[in-house]
Amino acid sequence: MDPKLERILLRVQKPARYTGGEYNEIIKDKAEVDTRFAFCFPDTYEIGMSNLGLRILYGVINEMKGVWCERCFAPWGDMEDELRKANLPLYALESGDPLSEFDMVGFSLGYEMAYTNVLNMLDLGGIPLHSDQRGEDDPIVVAGGTCAYNGEPLADFIDLFILGEGEEVNCELIELYRQVKREGGNRLAFLERAAQIQGIYVPAFYDVTYNADGTIHTITPTHGAPPLVTKRIVRDMDKSYYPTHTIVPSTEIVHDRVMLEVFRGCIRGCRFCQAGYCYRPVRPKSVKTLVEQGIESCKDSGYQEVTLSSLSSSDYRGLEAVCDGLLDYCEPRNINLNLPSLRADGFSMSLMQRLQRSRKSSITFAPEAGTQRLRDAINKNVTEEDLLKSCQTVFEGGCSAVKLYFMLGLPTETDEDVLGIADLAQKVYWTWRNHAASRARGVRITISTSFFVPKPFTPFQWEEQISMEEYQRRVDLLRGAIHNKSIQYNWHETDTSYIEAVLARGDRRLGRALEEVWRTGGKMDSWSDYFSFQRWMDAFAATGTDPDFYARRERTRCEVLPWSMIDVGVRPDYLWQEREQAYKSVITPDCRVKCMGCGAAKLIPGGVCDEDRR
Amino acid sequence: MAMHKNRLLFTKSGRACYISHLDLMATFQRAFLRSGVEIWQTEGFNRHVFVSIALPLSLGYSSDCEILEFNLESPFSFDEVVERLNRALPEGIHVRECYEAKIPCKKIVDLDWTVTLEYDDGVPTAAPAALRELLGRESCVIQKKSKKAKKGYTELDIIPMVKSWSLEEQPDKLIFSARLAAQNPGLNPALIIDTLAAETPAAKPDFVRCHRNEVYGEGGVVFR
Repeated sequence: MDPKLERILLRVQKPARYTGGEYNEIIKDKAEVDTRFAFCFPDTYEIGMSNLGLRILYGVINEMKGVWCERCFAPWGDMEDELRKANLPLYALESGDPLSEFDMVGFSLGYEMAYTNVLNMLDLGGIPLHSDQRGEDDPIVVAGGTCAYNGEPLADFIDLFILGEGEEVNCELIELYRQVKREGGNRLAFLERAAQIQGIYVPAFYDVTYNADGTIHTITPTHGAPPLVTKRIVRDMDKSYYPTHTIVPSTEIVHDRVMLEVFRGCIRGCRFCQAGYCYRPVRPKSVKTLVEQGIESCKDSGYQEVTLSSLSSSDYRGLEAVCDGLLDYCEPRNINLNLPSLRADGFSMSLMQRLQRSRKSSITFAPEAGTQRLRDAINKNVTEEDLLKSCQTVFEGGCSAVKLYFMLGLPTETDEDVLGIADLAQKVYWTWRNHAASRARGVRITISTSFFVPKPFTPFQWEEQISMEEYQRRVDLLRGAIHNKSIQYNWHETDTSYIEAVLARGDRRLGRALEEVWRTGGKMDSWSDYFSFQRWMDAFAATGTDPDFYARRERTRCEVLPWSMIDVGVRPDYLWQEREQAYKSVITPDCRVKCMGCGAAKLIPGGVCDEDRR
Repeated sequence: MAMHKNRLLFTKSGRACYISHLDLMATFQRAFLRSGVEIWQTEGFNRHVFVSIALPLSLGYSSDCEILEFNLESPFSFDEVVERLNRALPEGIHVRECYEAKIPCKKIVDLDWTVTLEYDDGVPTAAPAALRELLGRESCVIQKKSKKAKKGYTELDIIPMVKSWSLEEQPDKLIFSARLAAQNPGLNPALIIDTLAAETPAAKPDFVRCHRNEVYGEGGVVFR
């Protein structure tokens, strides 16, 4: 270990997150490695190591002979200060080598508020910030993840974006890099050839022109890049890589447990949900695969907790069989099984009993809206009856804490919808009064509201976000309507969601503002310890950027959206049709009931998404 | 609670020095579970495998002689336990021995330390003299931070807790070897160096490394 680093580590909080050396960390002999990839997660170690995607890609890339994938996380402020003071570059945990020494540096973009950390990590790692400043010796900087579907605010800083599922594209991309290197090709040659791979978007190869009103006039591909870049998906989840043999951190992380992904995609089509549209079509794993992988992961890690993960676990057909199979192994070993992402409608008594075999003190539902009209408008096909029935099951099972998640500021929302949230919470309370296994311990009903952020590739991508003042008014309205001590109300702060709305649907002109935020000290913006709304507003002012243009403007159907050269499968006219249905409060059946022809099926040869219709 | 049946003697070095005491317990719990070596689990609502580490080591220190207590419930031989655990532990944690506990840990009396004081610009002449003077005193009462005491600190005479010591001078470091009281109360070697630096600022080292060499019980006998 670097002697300078040794001294620093004892002065910072939780130094174990900066050392690496965990169980199952992959160390390779540099003499046998020709290509080095640094997987960068633009948040802390504790957040990044809780990300299943990182673990999958780390495993997949390291299976390649001659290629070594290492990890790098954003340092907390105290560590950053120490690194800068000691003139030490940001390094990858496995080898301790600076980011600048890698062939490729890849960022996982899961949340817009992490963008400043991307810039900060590039700078700390000794890599020129701008793509066009990088020379032949600098790493190729790539990025993937949900935010990459509209990575335009980062277009100046990222050499190429990977659209879709990394385990499908990354190895192909790295192979191409090795080939170009062997052939003596340069950066440009690599990028030009990479742009020909399905799922690779090279922002520098697209010229964007603007209209007088600031909207985009045209997006023109150059260097032979395709006019439309289609995302890549894994076709068979049973055959795709799953990290049963994965790093077990030596310090506590956020999700310190086995994460078992039951399926990818979602059949539902909630109109606000970016993941629901971007991850289509739905692709399940088989019960057998899941049980095997779950048991294997427990054995290999020593974790005492397994959680099933997906966008909506109760939509998994074999859910009970998977629970049974896993519980047979877990119960005698005192391993807990967790089931988040349950819909309030699919919640059955037998499932509840299964969960009761492990301990479970609180359960969370996300009705998202307070009235049936608005739930229909957003296509969240949960009825009040479903929710109350599920709550009844939960209360009869002895659970005395329920969390309910809602959004405020959804398109078409009225005061009646806002007050409906308080009504619904009160009805949940009465359900507890009437059905609690024991009323002695009381009940805790927590309702949380977040500030709706319209996202690309959803039917609400054309919507304006309501103003912060209006959001606050609705929060106050709801607060005033809650008179029950058993009901607690938490609401998200407005300013982060506003900045998130600016970035989510931003174009590449935002790069200047983003850089200004970073230059004036912006980083770790997803943490309230660091986020400064004023810093963002100052940066917008300094760069002549109007944030309302991005967050608070309704787009017309014919506007060229900044992400219109990206194809996630679902067609834009389908999204528009869904938007019109939203305004009529008409629900759309889920993929299992009826195929609506959204377009995602084309990504699977044969063109059928859901398994029963095969 | 009755004494636990079994012990591990393990080393902590390199990157593992930054694993905190609590995290180290979790690391061992998981290592046992993945090694297949079954050990006693706590009863009650939140059942977990039970391990206990004697005399927590400060963050950043290395050691050759850490002791972990548990109750073996597997038919494995001690050698096999060692082998299985070492395959299941992260870099820098290495089990030297597994054995039956005979004397309770409260009988641990002393610890042998090697403390390296690093000086980037060479050892200042004042430093070895000041350290020798400090350790040669009849008594040296310092204030030690305490969460329990009302005043926020307790007073402690460190001299009787230094059982023996020696000092080796090198151009850019002082190697201070000492046998210090282990518990009730124990003396962390950092306290000696802090006292030295507070009294003689010129003797303040740029970096201090602390390493535990050995554990001793009553009568100066190596403790296992």
